[in-house]
Amino acid sequence: MKKTMIALSLAVGAAGFTLQSLADSNYPERNIEFIVPWNAGGGADNVVRALQNPVEEVLGTNIVVRNLSGGGGAVGFSRALSAKPDGYVVTIPTNATFTLEGLGNVDFTYTDFEYIARVLVEPYVLAVNSGKGWETLEDLVDHLQENDARLMVGASGVGSSTHVMAVALAEELGVEFDVVPYDSGANAVTAAMGGHIDAVVLNPSEVVSGIESGRLTALVTTGDERSGAISQAPTMLEEGYDFSVSQWRGVAAPKGISQEVEDRWVEAIQSAVESPEFQRAAEMMGSDIMPLYGDELDEFVERTARLMIDEAAKLRQ
Amino acid sequence: MADYLDAFGLVFQGYVLLAIAGGTLLGLIMGALPGLTAAMAIALLLPLTFGMPPVMGIGMLLGTLCGAIAGGSVSATLLNIPGTPSSVATTLDAFPMARKGQAGRALGIAIVASFLGGIFSAVVLCVLAPPIAEFALRFGAPEYFALSIFGLVIIASVAKSLIKGLVAGLIGLLLATVGTDPIAGVTRFTYGNYSLLTGINLLPALIGLFAVSQVLADVVDYFKTEKADTSKTKLDKAAPRWLEVIRSWKVLFSSSVIGTIVGAIPGAGGSIASFLSYDQAKKMSKTPEKFGTGHPEGIVASESSNNSLVGGSLIPMLTLGVPGEAATAVLMGGLMIQGIRPGPMLFAEQGAIIYGIFIAFFVANIFMLMFQWFGIRLFVKVLQIPRKLLMAMILVFCVIGVYAVDSDIFNVYLMLGFGVLGYFLNKYGFGTAPVILGLILGPIAESNLRRALLQSGGDWSVFVMRPISLTFLAVALIFLVFTYWQNTRHKTLLT
Repeated sequence: MKKTMIALSLAVGAAGFTLQSLADSNYPERNIEFIVPWNAGGGADNVVRALQNPVEEVLGTNIVVRNLSGGGGAVGFSRALSAKPDGYVVTIPTNATFTLEGLGNVDFTYTDFEYIARVLVEPYVLAVNSGKGWETLEDLVDHLQENDARLMVGASGVGSSTHVMAVALAEELGVEFDVVPYDSGANAVTAAMGGHIDAVVLNPSEVVSGIESGRLTALVTTGDERSGAISQAPTMLEEGYDFSVSQWRGVAAPKGISQEVEDRWVEAIQSAVESPEFQRAAEMMGSDIMPLYGDELDEFVERTARLMIDEAAKLRQ
Repeated sequence: MADYLDAFGLVFQGYVLLAIAGGTLLGLIMGALPGLTAAMAIALLLPLTFGMPPVMGIGMLLGTLCGAIAGGSVSATLLNIPGTPSSVATTLDAFPMARKGQAGRALGIAIVASFLGGIFSAVVLCVLAPPIAEFALRFGAPEYFALSIFGLVIIASVAKSLIKGLVAGLIGLLLATVGTDPIAGVTRFTYGNYSLLTGINLLPALIGLFAVSQVLADVVDYFKTEKADTSKTKLDKAAPRWLEVIRSWKVLFSSSVIGTIVGAIPGAGGSIASFLSYDQAKKMSKTPEKFGTGHPEGIVASESSNNSLVGGSLIPMLTLGVPGEAATAVLMGGLMIQGIRPGPMLFAEQGAIIYGIFIAFFVANIFMLMFQWFGIRLFVKVLQIPRKLLMAMILVFCVIGVYAVDSDIFNVYLMLGFGVLGYFLNKYGFGTAPVILGLILGPIAESNLRRALLQSGGDWSVFVMRPISLTFLAVALIFLVFTYWQNTRHKTLLT
């Protein structure tokens, strides 16, 4: 009796297993839910909506975008993680995935996600009010060090990745920043343009119109390469600092999705980033298309996550 | 000039006009439904605009924005339920007027005031956008703090009793402390709930305090008195009331100015514009005691200012590339996807497009007037729906709308909780508008107070050493004294 039970359960298990792998090789068979943990119309949302069409074409199914914007991303990410790891629920990881963990406000960790792709990269940019007269990073650093002065730097949101990055930049440059968190990047830019603060650390798309108008001057960006949107500003690497961190946006699913599902997504993203429609959208958003998959991606995630989590953890007193 | 001619060519095409009209109509409908805000309406239509030429897509979104703000006044007037946070002040006089059997008149005034306010801001947008944007840049943390204190003083004037109004305002301020501390990042009163990390969401609070509490009050009333047949409710003539609005031109003008300027200051908490206008209309009035009882000037003040807010909020977006609030932030996302980067370069490089946007904004306001003109007779019929059906429907819409904000069921619970709170606040004469004011202004006041002190190194004199900040604080103080004096004088006159 016992033996039949075991045999039976083994058979059922095997059947279930083959059914599952069968399902995975036919993936996707129904609509895929793409959870955006921020509001419609925001940066991450724009990326997902620009990806939607080209990815749908390759996968041959509908992508349903759901904005779950509570808790600065916490609600959406934890909802995505509570889904079955079958590839029918995916989300958009960014540095916020890591800073949320570093601040200690959530009980998931970055390792709970299976990272499928990095799609877009945006460096952080340090831009100062042009009226202050600093033309280069060296001007600024010299001024601050000689006068033992502190720089009033705006960031978007307390504990946001721009806040974390402002703190990390000050450490790296060996100067003192007073970081003032604003409710949004837009409000920080307004304050810097009005001269109420000296500088901002934000992403290029947020400061580019301020720079074009001449009110702000971009001193340095933090990417591996110069940003397409602000190509006049050198990188930290060019300035001689061993420092490279970028904001990024990609696709992730709860850990445990099968290799078949991951491969299908990689294929879809590879094709999507080639589409002129998506390339135009990325350029408009001020982001650079720098796809990364597999082991290289895991290494990138590991490196960025460690830095972001450690720096964010320092913000908790 | 050539740019303007090109721009006319861009706007006056069949499909473009159709898109603007469609956007306006959808905006009106969504604005009238509690829980669906202008920002959500725009976000919903955004993907539709991807394939359109820029002026067409933006025209449609602008129509949606105008329509949603104007539509919010319909439910505010007929049901005491503000469709959007901007129409909270409209409920103060429009609903009492509708209760007196003059729903058609109340809506007629609201429509004309909305239209004229919208047109006023459109003119300002065309003529004065750059200098106003320059003025807005002078607002630093101390100015925002002073402005929000000025806004909080209004609580004393919108509430029937000074003390009870202040109590309700403080409840709002207290609730505004929930969530992540805006400067230090410490979580406050969240009890491990992710949904509360960013604070209490304004929309569930608004819908709970106004809509759900109204439903509860009506249910209680229903069993006491109003079992009467509502299908024979007499309706007055529903048509735009041009003369009545134009007669209060002073209120119309000053409210439109306030709406445009508050709209132009990014992050000032746009929905306070209608309260500011309502308050100054009351202060300037020879008959302030009529406000709150169904006074036409109250409706004119609130409606003209919340629609001029729309034009105002386009100013920093188009000239500085900085969106003023949620709805314009989504709109700006739409522009960027269209390949238009808002900012000062836009005027120089793509004049035709920017003037096209101006013209589309005018056109959207005209469509808004037309749709409401025709729709007004239908709108008032809502009052003839049997109350028990109407209340059930409202509750359904509230739940759907609030759930749709973040697709988060927690917001629905929050809404129900605020509904019960609102019911008791109304029952005991505290009012719900001060709670909303506290919730909107609390975070602005707190974060800017702390930013200002961070920037000044803890020196409190920044608030009085800067002219704009000092002016707001001084006027706030004068208003407070004036309100107290007005109240006591009124009492002595009565006794």
